[in-house]
Amino acid sequence: MTVTPAVVEEEPTKKGLSFKLPLDETEMGLVAGIVAAIVVVFTGLPAVIKGIALILAFLWGMDSVRKTSKYGLGTGVPSIGVLATGFGVVGALVGLALAKYGGIDGVAYPAVLIGVILMGVIGLVSGILSNNEKVIAMKIPRLERAMMELGMAGTLIILLECSIVTGSLNFDAVVNQVMNTGLIAFMFIFTCFGLLHPYNACLGPDENRERTRMVAVEIAGLICAFLGFAMIILSSFSWELGSIVSVTISSPWKLWNGVSLLIFGVAVWAYFFRMFIKACMDEAYETVGTGMIKTIE
Amino acid sequence: MGLIVVLLFAWMLVIAFLAFLACTFEDLESDIGSQSNPNSQVQLAAQIGQVNRFFNKAISGEPLSNAMYCATAGTIAWLLLLKLEPLVPGEEWKAAVLAIPIGVAVAAAINIIFSMTAHCGRTAAQKRFEQPIYLDVLYGHLLPIATHAFMTTFFITCIAYIQCNLGTLSGNPALNHPFALPLLGFIWGITVGAIGSSTGDVHYGAEREFQDRPFGEGKRVVYHGKITRYADCGVRTQKDIAGFCAKFGGPITGMTFGLIILFENWRSLVGMQLGGYLPNLSASAGNSSVTWAIVMGLIIVITLAVVNYVFVRWVRKKCGPFVGV
Repeated sequence: MTVTPAVVEEEPTKKGLSFKLPLDETEMGLVAGIVAAIVVVFTGLPAVIKGIALILAFLWGMDSVRKTSKYGLGTGVPSIGVLATGFGVVGALVGLALAKYGGIDGVAYPAVLIGVILMGVIGLVSGILSNNEKVIAMKIPRLERAMMELGMAGTLIILLECSIVTGSLNFDAVVNQVMNTGLIAFMFIFTCFGLLHPYNACLGPDENRERTRMVAVEIAGLICAFLGFAMIILSSFSWELGSIVSVTISSPWKLWNGVSLLIFGVAVWAYFFRMFIKACMDEAYETVGTGMIKTIE
Repeated sequence: MGLIVVLLFAWMLVIAFLAFLACTFEDLESDIGSQSNPNSQVQLAAQIGQVNRFFNKAISGEPLSNAMYCATAGTIAWLLLLKLEPLVPGEEWKAAVLAIPIGVAVAAAINIIFSMTAHCGRTAAQKRFEQPIYLDVLYGHLLPIATHAFMTTFFITCIAYIQCNLGTLSGNPALNHPFALPLLGFIWGITVGAIGSSTGDVHYGAEREFQDRPFGEGKRVVYHGKITRYADCGVRTQKDIAGFCAKFGGPITGMTFGLIILFENWRSLVGMQLGGYLPNLSASAGNSSVTWAIVMGLIIVITLAVVNYVFVRWVRKKCGPFVGV
């Protein structure tokens, strides 16, 4: 689809961690990983908090896609995003299957993090295998770490989305409300795009990380808005009866959660979308209303 | 033959027709935005000094992006159906008439958002090649892209809805599709994108730019990026290409997809009918119910292979040997 940029510039690397805004890749990974892991465990938190954790996790995932793809993967960028989501779905299922151990039903599920760690290990192993001289020998710098982060970020994102929709990480609840309803298709494809689109859309020799991050936040906002809408509709849906309860709303808490998430998502999307388009127009070679093309030869 | 069986065949033909339309519009949509394979020409053009007025719609490949639009449309339509269907008991089609276009409109809006970010982001990242953002190109292409995507997504969502309710529509609810609407939209979106990409892309550049080259020459590196420069009259934009591809490339892509859907459903329905499993497909039928369908499929594949072989032989004989062979 796309052509590899001719020039790949290495960013100047800082020594050590400073935690100055904007955060660099390692700090972003640490902050996003810790915050998202805490929010994933405590499923009783309001949906907006989960939305913020989702945005952080997307920023982390975007960074690792960028890290993997920067070394001249042109056509490969979408595949890396899909790979991360594939990691994520498998990891989320492992985590959900183990969720009943050591947790308090409806409040905290610490065991789901085993899925996250497992995917980190699998990502690391696949990264080592791809780079190993004797196996595939792709020799892409920092691939091991990027693959590990891809797996972990993907799993955290899918778990957060499940937790937003169902309000718990009970395996049966998630299977009923996310898998059987088909919402998983929507989550899968939008997680793919949240991970792959930022770098894919900004690809080119003059790509910069700040612009790319805006797209990641913008798409995370869109996902929040959609999940909020789904929550509003599903809040009056009785899963036991398998039908809409038309008279009473079965869970007002879920309804308000949905409304707040919808508003939050739309606000985040609108702000960052405007910011991104403005940044692009300012930083492009020139933004003109119309014009002829430069004649060559 | 019972009424249920006739209705099943009728709905199958409707689905094949909708698939034909969906893939036609899908190909034209990707031509306007230069998505997928042709996008490399647009991306490359500026890098080798050929500044252009093309829309750089780099939303991953076509299968993924179409899966996104269709899954979005399916999800929104399904959520609205959950709410609306209980309001009109006995006349559920009224809910569908409202829910499907709304869901598809949301998907088209998503398409506009992603197209804008992709075009602006990619162009801004080509600063050193002096490629400006032309605002008229940006705004002028968004609506054609969105309307074509609306048509594609609409037809695909209709197919998914018909499949979801196929049994109910034909009189035997047990024959309804077990998958939910968003999942079917996702699967159909991937399929329509894959066909649009594999068949449609060939007719984008090959037809338009390389008409005066010898038969089967292939594309030399020298010509790269030239597709983005001049049209028959004036500077070329993708609206020229859409108009051109609508005459042949789009319909031929639609025909490919329509035929795939037709043969696929034809073999399973005819096979099940021959095996005597319609209209009441019993759970005990098991694997034997598909044996006839597989035999039918093999017959179709062998026929197509033979026809293709004869046709290619005829073309090679008529148009001479490939250059460079």
